[in-house]
Amino acid sequence: MTDPARSQGGVTVDLTRRASLVALFAGIAAIAVGYAAAFKSAGTPGWAPWLLALGIPVALGAIMVLGAARGRRGIGQLKLPLAFVVVVLVIGFGAALALPATEGPLSQLWLGMPARAAIVIYGIGLLPIIVLPVAYALTFETQTLSAEDVEQVRALGRRYQSRNEGTEGTSRNDVTHD
Amino acid sequence: MIESGRIDALLQVALPSAAQPAVITVGLAYFAVVVAISIWAARRTRTASDFFVAGKGIGLIALTVASVSVSVSGFAFIGGPGFIYAVGLGAMWIVLPAAVTNVMGAWVLAKRMRLLGEARSLITVPDAIGARYRSPAAQGLSAVAILVGIVGYMATNALAMGVVINAIFGVGLGWGIWIGMGVTLAYSASGGILAGIYNDVFQGTLMAIASVLVFLFVLGFGGGLGDISRVILSHDPAFLGPWGKLTPLAALSFFFVFSMGSLGQPQAVHKYYMLRDPLQLKWYPLLKTLGLVLVLLLYFSVGVGVKAFVLNGRLAPLTSPDQATPALLLSVTPIILAALVFSGIAAATMSAANSFINIGAAIVTHDLPVAFGKRVSNELRWGRAMTILIAVAAAITAQQSGAMVAFLGIFGWGLFASTLVPALAVGLNWQGATRAGAIASIATGLIVTLALETTAYRKVFTFPAGVTASAVAMVSSFLVFFVVSWLTRRSAAAELDPDVRLVMEL
Repeated sequence: MTDPARSQGGVTVDLTRRASLVALFAGIAAIAVGYAAAFKSAGTPGWAPWLLALGIPVALGAIMVLGAARGRRGIGQLKLPLAFVVVVLVIGFGAALALPATEGPLSQLWLGMPARAAIVIYGIGLLPIIVLPVAYALTFETQTLSAEDVEQVRALGRRYQSRNEGTEGTSRNDVTHD
Repeated sequence: MIESGRIDALLQVALPSAAQPAVITVGLAYFAVVVAISIWAARRTRTASDFFVAGKGIGLIALTVASVSVSVSGFAFIGGPGFIYAVGLGAMWIVLPAAVTNVMGAWVLAKRMRLLGEARSLITVPDAIGARYRSPAAQGLSAVAILVGIVGYMATNALAMGVVINAIFGVGLGWGIWIGMGVTLAYSASGGILAGIYNDVFQGTLMAIASVLVFLFVLGFGGGLGDISRVILSHDPAFLGPWGKLTPLAALSFFFVFSMGSLGQPQAVHKYYMLRDPLQLKWYPLLKTLGLVLVLLLYFSVGVGVKAFVLNGRLAPLTSPDQATPALLLSVTPIILAALVFSGIAAATMSAANSFINIGAAIVTHDLPVAFGKRVSNELRWGRAMTILIAVAAAITAQQSGAMVAFLGIFGWGLFASTLVPALAVGLNWQGATRAGAIASIATGLIVTLALETTAYRKVFTFPAGVTASAVAMVSSFLVFFVVSWLTRRSAAAELDPDVRLVMEL
């Protein structure tokens, strides 16, 4: 999928990055409001944790999209795994907040844990592990880095270094000392 | 991902003496291997690049294990299980972010920092900030912030080392600190990060083996996770609630600070420069996440297991939560397993200390001079000298009052997070971020963290339950970064060099 991109004031702006920045700001703002609410003299209102439960997955998802977005191609096939993880986090946090506390000696256990604990440990703690690193590896060459990318950067870096050596006489950190 | 500084402060409680022949023998063997690796690495360290970024020549597996090792610290073995024992599953919210942090770091930082390193021969995290914003001021300010955080981390790590070495060898706390710092200093000064990396590989492997063995032992001893849960649910069901005995806001705060904040931890981020081939980043998040899961098995199993064993009378009640791991090891497990874990704890503290010493030395000999437009003529020699100075200063500070050291250790993670995450993690991915935004954000993180932590420590005011200085500072820093960058957006394009722009667009 190709996102329309344009230059704005000399910097590249594309819809994927723009949307992720807006979402990141919104997520952080929600978290900020949640914290601010906790300072109320009447105590933390019940809705404050919900702001964090929504704001944290949105902010984390947004910064991952921002990092994964490649040029004008956006995040390509990563849409699904990233959306999956954000949804898992939202549902996991929401379930932990919303489900009643029914833990007791007769509770049904799921893989050795009562239901709400199982949602947290296995849902929030393990499900993303199965999805995200695998998605990262499978899309690495197309979405993250190829040999051509590395060579392109090296070539531009060499030009930068030689230009600097021309003006300063030496590169910055590659000097052998002993 | 795990808060070395804050939690190593928990190691200030005296550990029970484990000075038995098997423990001492394994401890001596551990130190012998560390010394051997250090001698080998010292012979291969010839340049400043070797000293600070291992000559950018570390393979994938070595870097992954080293990164796991430096991420975890002694907290995973002592403070963490104790925290679970005290507050139940609420303590898991500190480590749950590990499910996303490694991939997030790979997408947001690894590629761009590694490519920037390729293009500019960068060796430090402030280097990346300086290159991104073409700003010695931003580089210098971020260096100062990291240095302040390192002061705290180093003091707490030195003290933690002393506590653990005293427990293993029975030499007294003061000597424990000097022995631990002496060994760490020897390999840090001689072999730099190269010695650190390969010692981390050894130490991380040791930690993973110890963790898995303890996990299996606890499950076997308790009759499986189901039986352990049943015991706890019969006596204290809230322990196994999703928040444990924390408030939801507190638990979610942990998740926020330890997930987003992971993008600003220099000891982890710095490692991205060291990978020999940038294309090997492909498997880095998967391997690191799996490594972390193995090392964290002990954290979960000991915290939950000891709670059940105390409740059903198989273990005596603990004198303090931090005794959870030592009590299990010295009362129930085979002594050889206890020996492995105690060496693993020493390994964790030394690994973290080495990394911070190296980063601190790079800041003093490289980043701060660059910020003032100077160059140190021999970075390797000065790097070694600063390594010695930092280690000795940390050891001396660690001998001071425990309360003072605890305070220093509290703000390390939060300070790194609030000063570096917006400017570095967002800045490397958003061309609209500006130099002014970065500087304002770093300054905000530094000032807010120090002000809030100091006033809270002096009990000038108390945070509401669930709100921490780290979280407030990070949120403030983010908001300032966005607002100032937006206000100064006209300057954004002029602050980007062509190679930096290319790295950001790939």
